[in-house]
Order: sequence, then structure tokens, then C-alpha cells
Amino acid sequence: MAALHIDHATIAYDTEPVLTGVTGRVHAGEVVALIGPNGAGKSTLIKAVLGLVPVVGGTVTVLGRAPAAARRDVAYVPQADSLDPQFPVSVAQVVLMGRYREVGWLRRPGRDDRRIAADALDQVGLADRARATFGTLSGGQRQRVLLARAIAQRPRLLLLDEPFNGVDLVSQDALLGALGELKRQGTAVLLSTHDLALAQHVSDHACLLNRRMFGFGPTGATLTPDLLRATYGNQALELHGDQIVVAHH
Amino acid sequence: MRWLDVAFDRALLESVLVGSVCGLIGVQVVLRRQAFFTMAMTHATFPGVVIAAVLGVNLYLGGAVAGVLAALAVTVLSRRRGHDASMATAVALAAGFSLGVALLSTQNGFTRNLTAYLTGSILTVGEQDLVVAAAVTAGVALVLAAVHKELLYTAFDHHGARAAGYRTGAMDLLVLLLIEAVVVTSVPAVGTILTLALVVAPAGAARLWTDRVAGMTAFAVAVAVSSAVGGLYLSRAFDVAAGGAISLVAAACFALSTIVAPRQGLIARAAHRRRRRTPPATEPGRAAPGEPVPATGS
Amino acid sequence: MHATLVEPFSVPFMARALTELLLLAVLAGVVSTHVLTRRLGFVADAMTHTVFPGIVLGFLSAGVDGVLPGALAAAAVTAILLTLLTRSRRVTDDTALAVLLAAMFAVGVVLVSRRASYTADLTSFLFGRLLTVTAGQIAQTAVVAGLVLTTLAVLHKELLLRAFDPRAAAAMGYRIWLLDLVLNLAVALVVVAAAQSVGTILVIALLVVPAATGRLVSDRIAPITLAGVAVAALSGYLGLAISYRASVSHGLRLAGGATVVLTMVAVYLLTLLAAGLARALRSRRTSDAVA
Repeated sequence: MAALHIDHATIAYDTEPVLTGVTGRVHAGEVVALIGPNGAGKSTLIKAVLGLVPVVGGTVTVLGRAPAAARRDVAYVPQADSLDPQFPVSVAQVVLMGRYREVGWLRRPGRDDRRIAADALDQVGLADRARATFGTLSGGQRQRVLLARAIAQRPRLLLLDEPFNGVDLVSQDALLGALGELKRQGTAVLLSTHDLALAQHVSDHACLLNRRMFGFGPTGATLTPDLLRATYGNQALELHGDQIVVAHH
Repeated sequence: MRWLDVAFDRALLESVLVGSVCGLIGVQVVLRRQAFFTMAMTHATFPGVVIAAVLGVNLYLGGAVAGVLAALAVTVLSRRRGHDASMATAVALAAGFSLGVALLSTQNGFTRNLTAYLTGSILTVGEQDLVVAAAVTAGVALVLAAVHKELLYTAFDHHGARAAGYRTGAMDLLVLLLIEAVVVTSVPAVGTILTLALVVAPAGAARLWTDRVAGMTAFAVAVAVSSAVGGLYLSRAFDVAAGGAISLVAAACFALSTIVAPRQGLIARAAHRRRRRTPPATEPGRAAPGEPVPATGS
Repeated sequence: MHATLVEPFSVPFMARALTELLLLAVLAGVVSTHVLTRRLGFVADAMTHTVFPGIVLGFLSAGVDGVLPGALAAAAVTAILLTLLTRSRRVTDDTALAVLLAAMFAVGVVLVSRRASYTADLTSFLFGRLLTVTAGQIAQTAVVAGLVLTTLAVLHKELLLRAFDPRAAAAMGYRIWLLDLVLNLAVALVVVAAAQSVGTILVIALLVVPAATGRLVSDRIAPITLAGVAVAALSGYLGLAISYRASVSHGLRLAGGATVVLTMVAVYLLTLLAAGLARALRSRRTSDAVA
């Protein structure tokens, strides 16, 4: 059984369909990249998998359940710059938040939870920053902390919204390393990006989106010039060896 | 003169209770940017109090019912397309308060009652007020302690908390209702403006001194209680309205903190700038680069 | 109908009250649109409280004649303070704003509380006296309206840009703080102008509800503004008529300003309901089309 199974799904905000005809699967231990220009509906698809946006046609099945019913086994990594940098929390507290659902209402996180959180922070290479205030970290480090929080949740399906946006190279390497580790442990990963080179490097499968699905399959076979040109429309596309460049007008 | 002392002692006890509960809830108000909602609540509960007075039922009950309605109205209205929370809050404030004024204007003693409502009369609190204040303080403290980690998560990362399966709408409503409980208890005793001052100023000051929620809470309660007690003594010494004096002491604590607080204060920042002689790194924006900033709320 | 809707305004003080309200309606319709796009609801509310100490000080030092200069001075001071507050991002805006609001209002309360006629004074400051508006006050309001409307019209596109995309506006070389100061001063002037008729506290309704109603029926600035003016004018007229009729025919005293605001809120709620119904109909049509 696939961790995520999407079948001819149409997703709508209010009454406006944002994304139509999406079909694809993400299996355990597999990384799938959602690729498309800004406004293509990548974030919307991730929200639909979380059950936060209604699926008005077709089906989205998460771990054999309806999206909203599977949230405990799904972790979500938001974009770090969507969060208030002034908020008074420590890095350790943020990572520990990943344990909250497991701990449950009215109970405090125990020693095991703290150990799991500390390990997760170690996995993204930030164990030494545990006591720092979240907002004092760089953008890339914040993104790593949020990934650590997701790791601490021990999810079966991990969703990341543009995890490499505005991230420095050191943090990018740390993120890629942690994702590789998760993949080996059998976590299914779905991430959105508009960095084609990075997508080729990190993902097993790619899903091309721009208001509808333009292609889904093994990354190498899907990120072809024809399909990319179709997805990105009239935006010029050039290939340099194995590098793909989308040139905006 | 013994009765005067007793009245003053009651006022003292009330100010300690109200100070504690305002300091506690103030942390949530400041972290969730609900200062305007708190202000609106102080005004929107007004018609409930007036109706309760006319019907001869418990004033706290009337205020509480009106407050729940206003909180629901804000929640529902702010979800409308093109409306954001700030507009919904302003509409609820204007609607509630004008309803209260219109109702009150049909009664005799219009002006005196209204003034008491706005500026409070902490020197006339009775035993019932003290009991209610004690009960609400205990209740709010208990609820905050019970769900503090969920409140922290939802305040820090609303989308992430929703994704993790928390019903953030319910959590938001819980916070609004806690704020409402504090407002409804405090306003009849100490007035609308003083309630706002005691909720926002101590927690705002505390935010400048610490980067952790636990420390902030302790600090906010300490500042709120000291402001309330200190203001009360000042009002007796200089024969001015107690509500005004307490508000000014709390505001002074906040103003002082913006100047002398370590790292965040004006002095610390000026010293830092002089040492570095380089402009501080610009804060990263909230919106993703390349994404258009929406013109209106969702 | 005639007796309720036309007759009351043949009485001179009612006609004056209506004139004042119609002037304020035009002003409020325009300014509230800016309050909407810049999300200044709380700033407007703060302003209605912060002019209070100015009014008190003016009254204490020069009697009734001192009220307007006092209010203007306090309004200018708060407009500047608010602009400064929203510039530095140390504390979140709303916290600082709330403290400023409470502190300045408290100054007014402390000053007033030392006078013997404490409560009556305070009430008239806060709630105004719509039915005792003089020709002089109407002239004052007309001057303020002319000044504010001209300024906002001249700076219309810059203010729109700043509201929509402050970063782009800054990048294009506009001084954001200056635009903010102008708008804050405009809001402050409306507060001062309306304070004597509808009272400082109810001004918040004039600064928010008209454009909020307009926003329910349109996605564009101009129609929102026009709808706002219409809503404010209609509510001013109806509210006055209702308050008059209630007191003359039914012996029920209804505060004029509050009745006007309640009427405005009722118009808002009716529009909300109508917009909701229209949306429901539209979405049914869309889902029929999809299916």
C-alpha cells in the first residue's frame, strides 16, 4: 500500500478549482518532488494531503485513510519565513512541539520525548543550538529546526513546503542529509520546490503541476524538456548538459 | 474611619486578584496579538451588563453572555472574504458599545453609570466581586496550566499546528473565551481602560525582558500585581481616580522597559549599534520572496 | 412615513444635526476605505481614546473654546507617536498601541477626576451632543472635510501603493513614514471633527463600518468608497429619524449618536446576509456546472 495515493483529484478553494487531474503515489522510503511555477498549486496539494483544503473530485488517500484522519502519522514542515521571528521560544521547545500530539492533552513531555527531540535536532546538525531563541537563527537553520520538529514526530509521511527556499548551502546539505536518513528509515516524503536541479538530485519521482498535472514518474524520465515546456508554458527553457534552467521573462 | 480602611483593603485584595489574572492572560494576548480584541471585548460586553442591570439579573452573567456573542461574531466575521480579524473586531466593538449606550440612554442615571463602567470604581467592590474575581483567577490559571503546550504550539505555528491535527479554531476560541472571562470579571470592578492596561502593559513589558514564555508569565504577573497595588496607593495619596492611576503605573512599567530592558531596550540597542558600527542584518520578511503580498485579508 | 422620515428635519436643531452627519458621512466613507486597506481599525480606535486628554486639558485651560485646539493638539501628538510606534518593530504594534491608548486615556481620566462635575463632563466628551450641534461646528466640520478629502485625493495612488505593497513603495523611493503620518493625521482629524457631535467613542463606528459594508459588495476601491458614503449617509438620516420618533411619539429616549451607529450596524448586517445569500446561490450554480 502506498503511503499516499492520489487518484484523479480536483482540489478547490471556496468554489474555485485550483488544481485538477492529479494522480500519483508516494511509497514508503520514496521522495517525490512537486514541481511547477509559483501559483501552480503545489502548496494547495500539500494542504489537501493534510486535509486542510477540500478535495472536490477524485480521491486522496493517506496511509489508507481520509487525509484528515491520518494527520497523526503525517508531519508537515512549513516555510520557516512564514513564522514570527520574534516569538519567544527556544529551538529545543520548537523541536519538542513535534512530540505534543503523541504526549496528548494535559500531560507534560517526558524524558523520552526530550531525548527524541534532542536526537532529531542532532540529525539536522543543530544540537549545539538547542538553547538559542528560534528567531536568532538564520533562515536555513530555522528550516532545519522545523525539519527536526517533523522528525521528532516520527511520521510515516513527511510533507515539506519549499524547504530549500532561501536556504544557504550549509543548511541545504544538512537538510538533504536528514532527508536521506529519513528515506532510508522508510519515511515517505513529498516536497514542493521550484529548483529543478535540486529536485533531480533529491527525488525518486517527480510530479509536474501547473493548475493541472502535466506529468508524473521517475524524476529523470519526467523532467524532460517537452514536459517542462508544457508545464511552464511560454517561459523559455534551456538545457545545459544535465542542468535545466527556467528563464523567466 | 474603620469602614474606609475596610473598603481600601477590599480594593487592595481585588487589585491583587485582578492583577494576577490580567498578567496571566496578558501573555496570551501579547503573543497572539489580541490586544485589539481585548479592547473590543471591554466595550462589547457593555450591552450585556446594561441589560442585566435593567432586568435585575447578575451583571457578570449579562457581561459573559454578551462577551460570548461578541467573540463568536468576531470569529465568524473574520472568516469572511475581504474581512480580516482587525475589521471584524472593530465592527463588534462599535456594534456592542453603541447598543450598550443606546440601551443605557433609555434609563435614568445615564451618565454616572457609564462613567463607572468606563473608569471603574475599585473602591466600591463588594464581597461578591471578590469571590467572582478569585474564582475566575483560579479557573483561568488552571486552564492555562492544563493546555499550555497546545497554546504554545498554536500561537507559534498556526498552520503547523493545524497540520499536526490540532483544532486551531477551537484553540483560538478557547483563548478568546478566556480573555472574555478576564474582561467580564475585571471591567465591573476596575473599568474598561484599566482592564486593557493591566492585560497588555505588564505582558508587553515582560516580553522585552525575556525570550521564554515561562519567564514572561512570571514577570507579567509580578508587574501587573505591583502596578495594581502601587497605583491604588498613589490614587489615595494624590486623590485621583484609582483606575487612571493604576493604568498609568502599568504603562510607565512598559515605557521604562522599552528603554532599559536588556538587548531589546533603547539603551541596549543604542550601545549595541555603537559597538558594531554596522547596520544590523535586516529581518527576513514574512512573505515568501516572489509571492505577491495580498491586498486584503482572506 | 412622512411623519417619521421627513417631518423631524423641519425642526432647526434636527436639520443641523442631519447636515453635520451628512458631512461626516462623506468624510467617513472615504477615510474608512483607507482604514480598511491599511488595516487601521485598532489605530482608529486608539485615536478615539487618545484625543481625550487633549479635550480635557483644553477644557480645563480655556473652557469650551479650548476643546477644539486641545483635541487637535492631542490628535497631532498621537498621530506622530503612532507613526513612530509602527516604524520600530521592537514590540508588536498592537501591544504598544494598546498601552498608548490606555495611558493617554488614563491621563484624561486622572485630570477629569479632580473636577467636581466629573461624570457629566466625561460623558459629554465621550458621547457628544448631536442635537446641540451649532452652525459654527458644522462650519468646522466642513473645513476639516475639505482639507482631509483634498489631501487624500491628491495622495490617492501613493496611499494605495503603500497599502498594497509597502516594500515596493519603499523601493520606488516613497517615504513610507510620511504617507503613514498623513493618513494617521487624516484619521485624527475625523476623530476631532466628529467628537463633538457623535462623541469620541462612537467615531470608531464611522471609521470602520462604512467601508466594511462596502467591502461586502465590491472588490474595488471606488465602489467600496461610494457604498461607504451611501451607508454612512443613509444611517445618519435613518438613525436621527428613529431617535426623534422614539422620543416624540413613544417617550423613549435614545441617544442620537448611538442610534445612528446601531442603524449603520444593522445596514452592515443586512448587507452581510444578502452577500451571503448571493454567494450561496453563486456557489450552487458553480457546483452544478462542475457536476
